[in-house]
Amino acid sequence: MQLGRVIGTATATVKHPTFQGERMLVVQLETALRRPDGDPILAFDRVGARRGDLVLVTNDGRALQELFGPTTPGRWSVLGIPDCVSSNHGAKP
Amino acid sequence: MRIAEVIGRVTLSRSLASLRGGRFLIALPLPLDALTQAAQTRSEDLVVYDNLGAGAGSTIGVSEGREAANPFGKNKTPVDAYCACLIDELAVEET
Repeated sequence: MQLGRVIGTATATVKHPTFQGERMLVVQLETALRRPDGDPILAFDRVGARRGDLVLVTNDGRALQELFGPTTPGRWSVLGIPDCVSSNHGAKP
Repeated sequence: MRIAEVIGRVTLSRSLASLRGGRFLIALPLPLDALTQAAQTRSEDLVVYDNLGAGAGSTIGVSEGREAANPFGKNKTPVDAYCACLIDELAVEET
C-alpha cells in the first residue's frame, strides 16, 4: 500500500468488460517526503476520492478481483482517504 | 495500470497458441510532466498485448505484472502487459 495524490480522472468507452461503470482516477504515488514516485497510475475508486485528495492505494489486484471478478486486469484501487498522516519526516496531508 | 501512448506494433509470424487472437503494441508510459504539462518525456517502452484495437497514437491503460494475465482465466498465458482500456479523455491537473 502506498499514499498518492489524485491528480485527475480518466474516461474510457472501450475497455475490459469488468471495468464497466467504475470510476478511474489518475493518481501520482508519493514518497514519504511527498515527492512524486514513478509514473502516474490509473486506480479504481469506490470511495469517492476527488482531485487533490491524498489517498491510500493498494497494488494488490485481489482487492479488485473481489469486486470486479477474477478475470479483471485491474491492479490499483483506492482503499481510503486519510484524514491525517504523521511521520518522522513531519509531512502533513 | 499506467497510462501509455501507442507508437507502433509488433507482428509475429510464429507465436504460442495461447497468444493468438491478440495483437502486440509498442507503447511508451507517460510520466507526470507528460500528463500535466504535455511534455514530450516518455518512460521506457513496453510491448503490450491488445485485443481492444488500439492503434498508433492511442492513449491506453496498461495493466502490468500478474494481473495482466487475469483476462485469460485459467489458461496460463505468459502476458505481463495488457491493454485494458482505450482512454478517451484525461482530465489531469497537478495539484
